[in-house]
Amino acid sequence: MSEDAVRLIPADDSSWGLEAYLRRGGYEAARKAVTSMAPQDVIAEVRRAGIRGRGGAGFPAGLKWSFVPQRGTAPRYLCVNADEGEPGTFKDRAILVRNPHQLLEGMIIAAFGVGIGKAFIYVRGEYDRIAGRLGEAVAEARAQGFLGREVFGTEFGLDVVVHFGAGAYICGEETALLESIEGRRGQPRLKPPFPAVVGLFRSPTVINNVETLANIPSIIGRGADWFLARGLPKDGGTRIFSVSGAVRRPGLYELPVGTPLRTIIETHAGGPPEGVAIKAVVPGGLSAPVLRPDELDVPMDFDSLSRAGSMLGSAGVIVIGDRTPIIEVLKVTARFYARESCGQCTPCRLGTSWIHKIVSRMAEGRGWPADIDLIRDLADGMKGQTLCPMGDAAALPIQALVSKFRGELEQAMSQ
Amino acid sequence: MSGTKTVGLKIDGQTVQAPEGTIVLKAAELAGISIPHFCYHPAFEAEGNCRMCLVEVEGLPKLELACSTVVKEGMIVRTSTPRILQARKDVLEFLLAEHPLDCPICDKAGECKLQEYYDRHGLFAGRFVEAKEKRDKKVAIGKGLLLDRERCILCTRCVRFLRKVTGTGELGVFERGVRAEIGTYDGVPVGNNYSGNLVDICPVGAITDADFRFKTRAWFLKKGPTVCPRCGRGCAVVVESVSGYPLEEKQRRVFRIRAGENPAVNGWWICDLGRAGRRDIDENRQVRITRKSAPEEKVSREAAIEEIAGRILGIPQAQRGARIAVVLNSLLTCEELALAEKVFAKGLGLPGVYFADPMPGEADGFLLTGERVPNARGVLEAGFSPRLPNLDALAASVEVLLVFGSYLLEHFSEEAISRALAGIPSKFLFSACAGPLDRLADFVFPVALPAEKSGTYINVDGLRQTFGRAVEPPPGVVSEREILGCLANGLGLNRGGPDAC
Repeated sequence: MSEDAVRLIPADDSSWGLEAYLRRGGYEAARKAVTSMAPQDVIAEVRRAGIRGRGGAGFPAGLKWSFVPQRGTAPRYLCVNADEGEPGTFKDRAILVRNPHQLLEGMIIAAFGVGIGKAFIYVRGEYDRIAGRLGEAVAEARAQGFLGREVFGTEFGLDVVVHFGAGAYICGEETALLESIEGRRGQPRLKPPFPAVVGLFRSPTVINNVETLANIPSIIGRGADWFLARGLPKDGGTRIFSVSGAVRRPGLYELPVGTPLRTIIETHAGGPPEGVAIKAVVPGGLSAPVLRPDELDVPMDFDSLSRAGSMLGSAGVIVIGDRTPIIEVLKVTARFYARESCGQCTPCRLGTSWIHKIVSRMAEGRGWPADIDLIRDLADGMKGQTLCPMGDAAALPIQALVSKFRGELEQAMSQ
Repeated sequence: MSGTKTVGLKIDGQTVQAPEGTIVLKAAELAGISIPHFCYHPAFEAEGNCRMCLVEVEGLPKLELACSTVVKEGMIVRTSTPRILQARKDVLEFLLAEHPLDCPICDKAGECKLQEYYDRHGLFAGRFVEAKEKRDKKVAIGKGLLLDRERCILCTRCVRFLRKVTGTGELGVFERGVRAEIGTYDGVPVGNNYSGNLVDICPVGAITDADFRFKTRAWFLKKGPTVCPRCGRGCAVVVESVSGYPLEEKQRRVFRIRAGENPAVNGWWICDLGRAGRRDIDENRQVRITRKSAPEEKVSREAAIEEIAGRILGIPQAQRGARIAVVLNSLLTCEELALAEKVFAKGLGLPGVYFADPMPGEADGFLLTGERVPNARGVLEAGFSPRLPNLDALAASVEVLLVFGSYLLEHFSEEAISRALAGIPSKFLFSACAGPLDRLADFVFPVALPAEKSGTYINVDGLRQTFGRAVEPPPGVVSEREILGCLANGLGLNRGGPDAC
């Protein structure tokens, strides 16, 4: 494996500490940015690298930073979205556990570029077991003068707070995350205004995913060109693919953006186990519409997957083998969204629950063919009509499952 | 509208000029186009949770919220394309899926937004065949309010009202997804003086008032706007009553008082004290003139007024100032006060025109004022210097006493009043409600309550508000204005005034 392939997640679990990170050349990029670059040049370099958000929506990170107004007296905040809740996704956890300093270094660079003095790392509640290590990394960086006042001996200062959620998928939605940090019920805000202008505590706020920020040190350290060379012009760098399900070697694979899905499954994850054929693949976390076995040659980048009717999302690849009935997949999917809907807006609160009730009935053998059309209609009623993207996140994969596997579902109902 | 810039936009082909910063929903109202909505309320920031007000804005791929989209110059908005009609149906279908459909026993039926919008935008056959969620249907949340969680559509107007208007925040949303529900924190009930507004702003029958619950149906209610008489604020209120069917013929009952809308005074809200004024209108009313010496005998107003006039005119003109006293109150309208001034001060030359009013209370810092009368400014404007009578002085010299209202009781003990009045030969009481003073007067006249009158009040801020009769008085009951007019006639003082009697 090349040096690049272990860039974000060291294979060795014992090299997460500051000393090991410094040995890998850690904090050099942050030092370079803070001591020798102008903030706007930092933003420009990140924009040029074309890095798109690794959380799921794929918004260009540098562009997001550039939206933050530089005038005004309100403090600006950085929030790290470590609420990794998308089913089939487990990459951020690995970064937090094995490479927390690289995240912190990315945060320093982002904060310096945007003019931010305070950052929050919002970690999902279920990750509380890694709190110790993350807290220790923050303490190490602070003791070394990388965080706190006068970072690298300059006037720039950055305070970092680690904040744990209470276990709600919706808090991965950026405005719900802000509500949660502010101590309120975790549910999305109406946009606009966007967080870049009115965010945490009504101040301009940048919200980036863990993996996005962990990529920033190499963009500044090695340059945007180096980064672009490892991906596509509009979608630079590598992605960490979380591969799970019916494969021989489930795990995390850091590969260039644009690597074909089939290559990831067959070559890297070893393909399905003996005697199992692939029935379906969820390419980008549960919210990404499912692909059939004949659709797996798609390059794994945002635009290609969008053209294929799905999405790259969080790059969580869930491989479903032919021994798994689609109704079971449908049931866990419907149950997940019904349980995780925050309940704020009508179509999501009642649509996810209604679909879940229908699917549960189908799974008990009490379905009839009209149910499939009803599910499709209900998902139509949610799509594009909810307050936050969760309506689409629930509607799209469910619609894909019932339309692409209608035959199997109907056959099950006729028995 | 000088100083406010307007922007021009098109809504459903109509050109609309709306002030800068207006939301599409309001701009559409200016053009006479109503966009259905549940969660939006003009008093609060848009929350966008009901998704009912979606509209198409040309150039934008998704449907946009009319409640939060601000108008822009040249914007082209459509509110009734097939896509929007479908989106409305979708929202209604979702809401109705888990709705108990207990309209036949729901107080809100007839004035329920969910009903209204289904009728206007829904009319689909239900497709929900699953088991509905079972929820609490009778949660006491304080101050006689009951929460029905099955009917609730989670628009959160109630939550936002308590956070943003009263600042008390008693209600919140608990749980999530389809299990999300409104509740109090650790069972601490709603306890502020504005709780009744929660019933007004609930778009469905989720929050109902025990005082109104199951008493009548919304479509029987006759709604009369007036000004609340319970403090100096002068809030707009709507008195809702039924006369006749389905009550007995000639029977009248006020079922509730709700907030009226008046941006200059109360916005959309009234306090619970004003709302409770419902009881004053119906309970314990005087309905006929009674003479103490023959309580069972029917007395006509003409005869009774003649009696008063006779007693007054029986006192030589020069002695009237010392031997006649009048006690008024600050609930009288400006018109009544002007007439009283004409009759008692100018006509009879009485120096002794006194006032007895409800005792002041504490102002609550929002709408409720310390003074608990609606027209203290009107009293001053009519030229009176309101002061309480001295009971001993009355007892010593007065021969004819006219008392309007029963508020002497708030300032003197019944015993003291009784003692003072014992020596006064002629006593007339004009009161809307039966009370302990009745037995002390020779004649008791029923009078109309403010809601049963038209007139003018001047509020604490000097704002003059003229109102019409919100509800018919009981048969045979008239206002002080008419009584004073008759008296003026009887005394030969009436030139150009009302010619009743």
